[in-house]
Amino acid sequence: MRILVIEDEPKLAKAVKEGLEADDYSVSVAHSGEDGFYQLCQGRFDLAILDVMLPGRDGFEILKSVRQMGHLMPILLLTARDAVEDRVRGLDSGADDYLVKPFAFPELQARVRALLRRGATETFAPSRLGDLEIDIARRSVNRGGRRIDLTAKEFEILLYLFRHKGRVVSREMLVRDVWKEPGRHTSLDNVIDVHVNHLRKKLDDNYSRKLLHTVRGLGFVLREEET
Amino acid sequence: MRPVDSLPLRVRLTIWYVGVLAAMLLLFVAGTSFVLYFQLFHQLTRFAVQDVETVEGLLSFQPDGRLTLNEDYHNHAQSRYVLERLLEVITPEGGVIYKNERLGGNFLDKAPFTGEGVNGYSERSSRLQDGQRIVLVSRRHNLQGRSVIIRLGYEQAAIWSRIQEFLTASGTALPVLLGLAGFFGYQLSRRSLSPLQDMANRAERITAERLNERLPIANPNDELGHLATSFNTLLNRLEQSFDRLRRFTADASHELRTPLAAIRSVGEVGLQNSRTASGYQETIGSMLEEVTRLTNLVEALLTVSRADEGRIELSVSQFSPLDLTREVVGLVGVLAEERHQKVSVSGEESVRVRGDRLLLRQALINVLQNAVKYSPDGGKVSVVVGSAASGRATVTVSDSGPGIPLEHRSKVFDRFYRVDQARTRQTGGAGLGLAIADWAVQAQGGQIRVEDSDHGAKFVIELPVE
Repeated sequence: MRILVIEDEPKLAKAVKEGLEADDYSVSVAHSGEDGFYQLCQGRFDLAILDVMLPGRDGFEILKSVRQMGHLMPILLLTARDAVEDRVRGLDSGADDYLVKPFAFPELQARVRALLRRGATETFAPSRLGDLEIDIARRSVNRGGRRIDLTAKEFEILLYLFRHKGRVVSREMLVRDVWKEPGRHTSLDNVIDVHVNHLRKKLDDNYSRKLLHTVRGLGFVLREEET
Repeated sequence: MRPVDSLPLRVRLTIWYVGVLAAMLLLFVAGTSFVLYFQLFHQLTRFAVQDVETVEGLLSFQPDGRLTLNEDYHNHAQSRYVLERLLEVITPEGGVIYKNERLGGNFLDKAPFTGEGVNGYSERSSRLQDGQRIVLVSRRHNLQGRSVIIRLGYEQAAIWSRIQEFLTASGTALPVLLGLAGFFGYQLSRRSLSPLQDMANRAERITAERLNERLPIANPNDELGHLATSFNTLLNRLEQSFDRLRRFTADASHELRTPLAAIRSVGEVGLQNSRTASGYQETIGSMLEEVTRLTNLVEALLTVSRADEGRIELSVSQFSPLDLTREVVGLVGVLAEERHQKVSVSGEESVRVRGDRLLLRQALINVLQNAVKYSPDGGKVSVVVGSAASGRATVTVSDSGPGIPLEHRSKVFDRFYRVDQARTRQTGGAGLGLAIADWAVQAQGGQIRVEDSDHGAKFVIELPVE
């Protein structure tokens, strides 16, 4: 999978490149609008990450031209402005998704995965992780054959973490996708932490192999880990 | 714009003043001339009436049937030419039987009309054949058994020349008068407008940096005093909002600086010695936590600044505040549970309000989070939905915390304001939660305030009903 990052801020471009390369994508970087546009039209990329505020041609313009030329690869917009008009304008110009700076890196990874997966039918992985079993239809959870009682919220969190297993899930992602909280005005971080702590207690307390881990400063991850 | 409008106010005032004065003087002159004419006309008529009687005594028929006027009473024979009377005597049928020399070939009037001079004097204005205007009086008399009509006229030229004199005199005086009036009027308006110029000069010196200056108020009861007073009030408000802005900027920088300083020192210390991988992870994680704080702060600041610009559009709907309260308690209630606090929700099911549900939800979340935060472990938080005496809906959030001292109550909704600096430092939060709640409630025509309570803090949100 080849990804083009069009971003004029070198540090951010480098971080994004390295982060995505760690996920086994092949990443190219363009530092200006012109360069980005040229590469988009030349090379065949599976996905582009496009900054809106660029010197020369701005992101909206590039987006429009690229779409007019018939290129259909998914494009993820990065914007520092989260005004509604900007989002609408971006999506109207042919962007597939947008992310407001500053963003959490797990969020970017999740969006990239989602965009690249789009179109392909999602394969249902077996709902097992180590000795953890999740029956989505019955909304029941077992670990090592013992049933674990979860509240509705805890189950949803677990399911979400499970679907992103092995990858870090940020609090922003949980707020948006599990709590479906519309505004960005309120921080619900403390609420999330309490729920996750409850979940962790029920999930891991009686087992030596911990599944739910906190990644300090980033979020949470569900994975088998020998500790 | 008319050319007059571009002139200075004092010139315009003077022009108006002189213009109105001129119009009034002209009216006065016209009126006076009119009255003068009637008075003189009346005088001349009276004079003619008396003269008719004099003439009547002097007229006599001669034996040969000729009518003569005895004018021998003059000491000097020439004196009779001084008399300006025009005289004509006719028979009731219209036959002229006497004309004086001054009248000559003219006659005073055409054939007599019916009843001319029968009962009293017929007075009228008329014209001679040569166009001269005259005052004419006729009277029927019996003269030695014969009925005659004596007509006596005076030329009106005298009246007209008097009026002309009057007009000439006025015409000469008027421009002088108007000139004087204009001069003094200009001085007066300049003098009365000069405080305005002073005010303008002073106002120009008042800039953003010198907002504490005020205009002098000479007399608070006159118009200029009013102007200066309202200008000063405006300056007061402006100064206050500038102050708020300055304080806000200072507070915001301070709040931003705190996590920045933390990131910096954690990073610097982290790099000073080589560490194990988990040590570095610890360092970076700690920095990222500060970044999250910074991000939340910037989000809140953005919300606040957008609120200031009035750029957030409301999506108004009708909803039950009790349902909303339950929803919010469901969301943040877990925080209370964690600390073994009891959250109770009660109130009137039927109350419905009109507003932006999302914004109000935001406000409630902030207020409730505060209530939970400041209540002790095992404490109580209660939310009651009801109606105020004004008919508006109320949502009352009471906690069992330390409460808000009276002197802080007016300020708790100010941005970055904290009742207890040290306490909030450890519990997190930048002091924007209540400011945002305040704005969110006000944006939909509601009001949020702190009320007296026996223990703990009591926040009342008042909302317009549908």
